[in-house]
Amino acid sequence: MNNWFKSGSPWIWMTAGAVSISLIAVLGLLLMIAWRGLVYFWPSSIYQFDVLQANGESQTLIGEIYDTESIPARRLSDQGIDLRGHKGEFISRELIKTGNREYVDLDFRWVLESDIVSRSQPAGLAMFERSKNGNFYGYITEVLQQGEPVSGDKTEQLHQLIERANDLNEQAIDLQNDEIGSINYQLEQLRLKRRSLEINDKLTDAAIASLDAQKEQLQAQYQILEKALFAIRDKTERDAVVVTDMRGEKITLPLNQVLDVTQPNDMNIAEKIWHFLRQIGKFVSQDPREANTEGGVFPAIFGTVFMVMLMAVIVTPFGVIAAIYLHEYAQKGPVTKMLRIAVINLAGVPSIVYGVFGLGFFVYILGGSIDELFYPEALPGPTFGTPGVLWSAITLAILTLPVVIVSTEEGLSRIPMSLRQGSLALGATKAETLWRIVIPMASPAIMTGLILAVARAAGEVAPLMLVGVVKSAPMLPLDGNFPFFHLDRKFMHLGFHIYDVGFQSPNVEAARPLVFATAFLLVAVIVGLNITAIGIRNHLREKFRSLEN
Amino acid sequence: MISIETQLRDVQRVDLANLPEEDTELSINQLNLYYADKQALFDITMRIPKNQVTAFIGPSGCGKSTLLRCINRMNDLVDDCRIDGEVLLKQKNIYAKSVDVAALRRNIGMVFQRPNPFPKSIYENVIYGLRLQGIKDKRVLDEAAEKALRAAALWKEVKDRLNDSAFGLSGGQQQRLVIARAIAIEPQVLLLDEPTSALDPISTLTVEELITSLKEQYTVVIVTHNMQQAARVSDQTAFMYMGELIEYSDTNSLFTTPSKKQTEDYITGRYG
Repeated sequence: MNNWFKSGSPWIWMTAGAVSISLIAVLGLLLMIAWRGLVYFWPSSIYQFDVLQANGESQTLIGEIYDTESIPARRLSDQGIDLRGHKGEFISRELIKTGNREYVDLDFRWVLESDIVSRSQPAGLAMFERSKNGNFYGYITEVLQQGEPVSGDKTEQLHQLIERANDLNEQAIDLQNDEIGSINYQLEQLRLKRRSLEINDKLTDAAIASLDAQKEQLQAQYQILEKALFAIRDKTERDAVVVTDMRGEKITLPLNQVLDVTQPNDMNIAEKIWHFLRQIGKFVSQDPREANTEGGVFPAIFGTVFMVMLMAVIVTPFGVIAAIYLHEYAQKGPVTKMLRIAVINLAGVPSIVYGVFGLGFFVYILGGSIDELFYPEALPGPTFGTPGVLWSAITLAILTLPVVIVSTEEGLSRIPMSLRQGSLALGATKAETLWRIVIPMASPAIMTGLILAVARAAGEVAPLMLVGVVKSAPMLPLDGNFPFFHLDRKFMHLGFHIYDVGFQSPNVEAARPLVFATAFLLVAVIVGLNITAIGIRNHLREKFRSLEN
Repeated sequence: MISIETQLRDVQRVDLANLPEEDTELSINQLNLYYADKQALFDITMRIPKNQVTAFIGPSGCGKSTLLRCINRMNDLVDDCRIDGEVLLKQKNIYAKSVDVAALRRNIGMVFQRPNPFPKSIYENVIYGLRLQGIKDKRVLDEAAEKALRAAALWKEVKDRLNDSAFGLSGGQQQRLVIARAIAIEPQVLLLDEPTSALDPISTLTVEELITSLKEQYTVVIVTHNMQQAARVSDQTAFMYMGELIEYSDTNSLFTTPSKKQTEDYITGRYG
């Protein structure tokens, strides 16, 4: 035994064990999130249950099984639930999503396994994804085109009609967001222009006339577009589908509210995979619906990536310049040492503190002053004096500044003295040497700093809640209206979306899979950003490789 | 070991003590150098003739590299280095306040112990100094690059891969590239700080031949720890010991009839 200790093997076991545990922890976390997130997109079977009621009668339930759990029977009987003479310590129950929110009280319900008389997966059961009120489950009974039942293959016809309705809906949304949005934007600009003239006492009759003329012109355009919009809306209301629900009643669903219909019980594996991929595609490309509990997360992805990139654009030059001063110009002495320690310690300040600072300084003081100086016409409505994507990016930029400074300095100190001397000996000044030799060679280290900064910033939520993130932002910070980048706007963020969906949602059961899916997506986005940065760094490293010999 | 005598060539003798002004490239007058409190060079006075190769020899730590670095003010980069005395280039003190150090270094090129090509292409390495001077004309740059590479005896080897990375060259080629880079800006003086110490014998030979050919156009000062090399390439040799200039004369007399005991001990291998 003693010899075994002396041989050093225990150390190898211990260190290797530590590595394995870390590895298992990371992989386990990723796998768990990925599994629970991705399962959400898989078309699960729809069951038809016969369930015994409290009064002894049997009731039909149609829905998906969301969860199964085994709980102590005691707990349920304590709550006054009749277990019908169930024996045994544990009893299992199932969470069934029945949908049809407007017709039944609960779209999720727990059912004791012992109450289930029979279950089946009948073919033909359909799940309707709707733009309002969540999913609807039932049998397709009739497809109405212009109020008349269609003949032939109902499902196929239904798919065609849904596609038509979706196309029209999309047109309507495009019209509303692009053309009508643009006119609204211009009208707002006109109002601000008028107000600005008014403040500067330059509001002459001629100016008023000109502004009014422009306004009238815009309003005339608006009328036309609005008419077109209503026309499209009317068209979408043409068709409907009649569905027999679990109570046996026939419900008519207008097709302009149906986004998709699937019959998972009739699908083969290839169709299921196709559906799975399509659902993922929709999740990353669509806007959220129903208080974020349905639909996609595109604005949150966009907001996260946009904010992080903006942050990178701000933090890189600042960090690099500061590091150059500290490493190249500052005299080596106690003051520089103190400064360096201070910079490193900045990385340890809790992020919410940065959020508070950002709100107090950037939003209120800086943003408030900008508003007074440049946007007096919009006051008292704030332009930059309110949380927004710019302030978020700047706040995270100071949060990540130490990381960039430290790694840039490390990179600078790794540049061989001989190369600096070589450049100086050719008549270069120190600044020229820095620009032409040192900084290009330190660029891989700068990229490393940026990678760490991006990884930190993309996952940061707490400070953003104070300086710019919102639950739902109707407009992206980038659109077709001049000047295209609207840095004053608020934005959505995946990290905050997770918190919002998980804890602030009106429908916790419906939102839970979304939490995992969004978390998985956030990890994927961060990994994606990092891989891009690492790719660039490796390219740079390859370029400057060599000096090690 | 090959005896030093066999390495000597016939050289034209110059009277170093009374060198006429027009033949003097550099004069060093009573130069003292201190690193913080430690004195590294003691009262060095010497004249370096124009268009000749002058070698500094001596044991490690004798101050020969430090003295070389005084000539293009590379010691300015060392934080607590203090110099008094003067170094005259063409009768002008390079330590005068009005001197532009960058301009001075354009006139006094330097090649270091280890090849230090920049992480750029061969072509960009050679024209680095010209780019610094703001020359953008492609034709001028191309001509200068070819001329410098030919002068450094590297043209034939690299003419087909000028745009490849300089790191792809061998050590000897890299050192010649660095020399080409230094002469591309046409300095008056070329300082070589043990230029062959990191090279294999064949590359060393090539570089030595190059040094001999360079003196037609440039004044060359070379620091070397290799006495055979000094004997092979230099016209004048200065022997330094412990920060002092012990003996300075033409190479043949220094190696055949040294006037000082210390010099004799060193060249016969009794220490160092």
